Amino acid sequence: MIKKWRFERALGALQKSPHEALRSFAASDWPARNMPAIDAPMLALDFELDGLTKDAHLLQAGWLECDARSIALSTACGFDIKSDARLKSEAVVIHGIGEQRAAAGRELGYVIDQLIAALSGRVLVAHAAMMERDALRRAVKTLYGADLPIRAICTLTLERRLNPNLVGADAYRLGPCRARYGLPPYAAHDALTDAIAAAELFQAQLSRMPRDTTLSQLEC
Amino acid sequence: MSTEIAEVAQFLKGTTAFQSLGDDERAALSRRVEIRYVRAGEAIISAGDHNAHLFLVRSGAVELRLAGQELSARLEAGSAFAYPSLLRGGEVHNTTCALEDTLLYAIPAEQFHALRATNAGFKAFFAKDETRRLAHAIAQKRADADYNLDRHEVGKLIGRATPVTCEPGATIAEAVKLMCDENVSTLAIAEGRTLAGIFTDKDIRVRVVGARRSVDDPVSTVMTPAPATLSIHASASEAMALMARGGFRHVPLCDESGSLAGILSATDILSAIGNNAIDTGMAIAKARDNGELVEAARRIPESFVAMVKGGVHAGQAMRFTSALGEAVHRRAAQLAEGRLGPPPCPYAFVVFGSLARDEQLVGSDQDNGFVISDGAATADLAYFEALGTEICDLLHECGFVHCKGGIMAKNPQQRLTVSGWQERYANWISRPTEDAILRATIFFDMRCVHGDAQLSAHLHDETAHLASQNPLFISYLARDAQRSKVPLGIFRTLVLEKSEDGQKVFDAKGQAIMPIVDTARTQALAAGLTQVGTIDRLKALVQAGKINADDAQSLEDALILVNEMRIAHQARQVARGIQPDNKITPADLSSLERDYLKDAFRVIRDGLDGLRRNFAGGIA
Repeated sequence: MIKKWRFERALGALQKSPHEALRSFAASDWPARNMPAIDAPMLALDFELDGLTKDAHLLQAGWLECDARSIALSTACGFDIKSDARLKSEAVVIHGIGEQRAAAGRELGYVIDQLIAALSGRVLVAHAAMMERDALRRAVKTLYGADLPIRAICTLTLERRLNPNLVGADAYRLGPCRARYGLPPYAAHDALTDAIAAAELFQAQLSRMPRDTTLSQLEC
Repeated sequence: MSTEIAEVAQFLKGTTAFQSLGDDERAALSRRVEIRYVRAGEAIISAGDHNAHLFLVRSGAVELRLAGQELSARLEAGSAFAYPSLLRGGEVHNTTCALEDTLLYAIPAEQFHALRATNAGFKAFFAKDETRRLAHAIAQKRADADYNLDRHEVGKLIGRATPVTCEPGATIAEAVKLMCDENVSTLAIAEGRTLAGIFTDKDIRVRVVGARRSVDDPVSTVMTPAPATLSIHASASEAMALMARGGFRHVPLCDESGSLAGILSATDILSAIGNNAIDTGMAIAKARDNGELVEAARRIPESFVAMVKGGVHAGQAMRFTSALGEAVHRRAAQLAEGRLGPPPCPYAFVVFGSLARDEQLVGSDQDNGFVISDGAATADLAYFEALGTEICDLLHECGFVHCKGGIMAKNPQQRLTVSGWQERYANWISRPTEDAILRATIFFDMRCVHGDAQLSAHLHDETAHLASQNPLFISYLARDAQRSKVPLGIFRTLVLEKSEDGQKVFDAKGQAIMPIVDTARTQALAAGLTQVGTIDRLKALVQAGKINADDAQSLEDALILVNEMRIAHQARQVARGIQPDNKITPADLSSLERDYLKDAFRVIRDGLDGLRRNFAGGIA
């Protein structure tokens, strides 16, 4: 109830925004919270960042539309993001995105506008969705000085519910979670591949839940 | 932003169905894919539905249930399904369910039709024609091979444009001076351009200096007359086999008119490919005692691995390995004769089975015998008993282990006179029983490796003729061939047995190679043909008009393909120091290889069906 109220209040604020991208985000059709999750439109998203701190920079973004039945690769988008920041060496090793490539990417503003348009009317799906949500909110705040309300489903949180009490730090990482549902291993740390991987995991998780599971039961 | 979805395009590339597409086509296609997750037990498409997608199993497994029948097929990762409904315009006849939790790639019908229209390879795959698909696969593999010995003519490998020659009437001194001046180790002795013999450095040591000959004698008295020659158009692989078998390093080459064109040396081939098979052949031929022969023979597996790693394809690897095996057998016989003294009467040392067919790989046991001249006295037989025991025990040491079935010259039933063998064959042919045929088929693949080849050749010709006159015998052969269980279910699924450690395996030799060998043997004997090698038999059958050229080609393709897999499997085992076997786990194969394997099994099954229809009276 509170979630719904906060989301709608924030949308209302965006309706008066001077920025077209935010106004049309606010004006889209949003799925009702009591809608069965299998009918709801979603957007699987993954960011690659240059660190885990609050000031981490976005290096790469990948997303695509999905729902409980189908993941449409025709809607897939993947961008390297231009960044002037010196990259922190340890994160760069993980993601394989060098400074040169990061400098050659798209402007942050362009990528965020595309993403806001794609997310309009959709519920974000990601593994450890808090990270994507916070990073996107920070980027919008920096670019437009506005608060972007985001509805999200976290596959990691769902996994803790579906398979509680697993032992080991790695058990809830994306790869091991996928393996439990018979999903194939993918090369990790490419934003678009991870977004696809999260979308598949979500389909698999949803297939284990009652058909009438609603969005409000899943959103975080 | 790139157009390709890397993970998806990569997967498409490894599947048979999409392998024929270009990278660009796969990149574009990867964007049109829809991914679906299906839980075990859920229906994907049901009979009566309208379907608008081609499905590809990304992970997991699905079951195809044929409408109205108790039949089903299991499809695993990399397999495509639902295309028959697309070819019909969408009407679904067969229900497909997920057997396991499955991830599917769904490709819209319009993409499927567009690719069929523009890409012949893609269209051919979905034409569902196993034989054409198999031929396509072989052509692809051949084109991919690093270095194809079959394509390299020896005429193009020789270093020297014109051979150094010398008239037969020249003195040894003149010949040696010529060799020094021209810096060659082998001299062709020729009248004009007609080859009379060859004279080598070794001949100077052994036949001239060693024998204290006068250097004023004519060179023709110390040369090797009428040496084995090859056409300049012969392939490098033929030349290698000849050298490995004969244990020599130089082969004169002749052009179309039969006149001398040059001398090919082992170094010419080695510098072209780099490989130690010929060295091993030399070591075998030069072995002075049992110890040296055993040591040389033990290098065969290593040569085999080197050949496979060097990109030598299955047919060639088999030919070289057989050539080396033959050389070991011959040298073992020569060494045994050296110890026991010359044989008291002519005899032929013959081998049976894969070595006779030139289709041997490493790790085979020995199958051999003596064909002794009818002129042998009773007292002579003791000599052959000792000779057989010596040879077989030495071969055992060399890695050709004793034959469990006792098909060895050390056993009396394998040391028969010509008429003794004639009687034995006649008995098998005119009074066949199921049990006797089971053990006798191997005897119909026979070749002489040492001694008087005339003895065994005559026996073999007679046997083939006799067989062709006895339809009852042929029907027993045809029925015997049906023992092989082709592990192919309806809808091209592999039906495998579990090995001791619970792995699902197939026996590449028993379930794929032997049925092809049996098919060719039965057909060849029915036609009275005397060829022994399987591919030779198939070619001869086509020439004799006994089988269709396409069918023969398909069987040959299947033989080569399975042998490729078997050889790669054995080379891996040998490299790891494991005793090579023929048990292949399909999980070790790529989905592409599994698909080709299924095509091969289909061809094999057709071959066996042909035998049953034509020769077994349809009863087997």
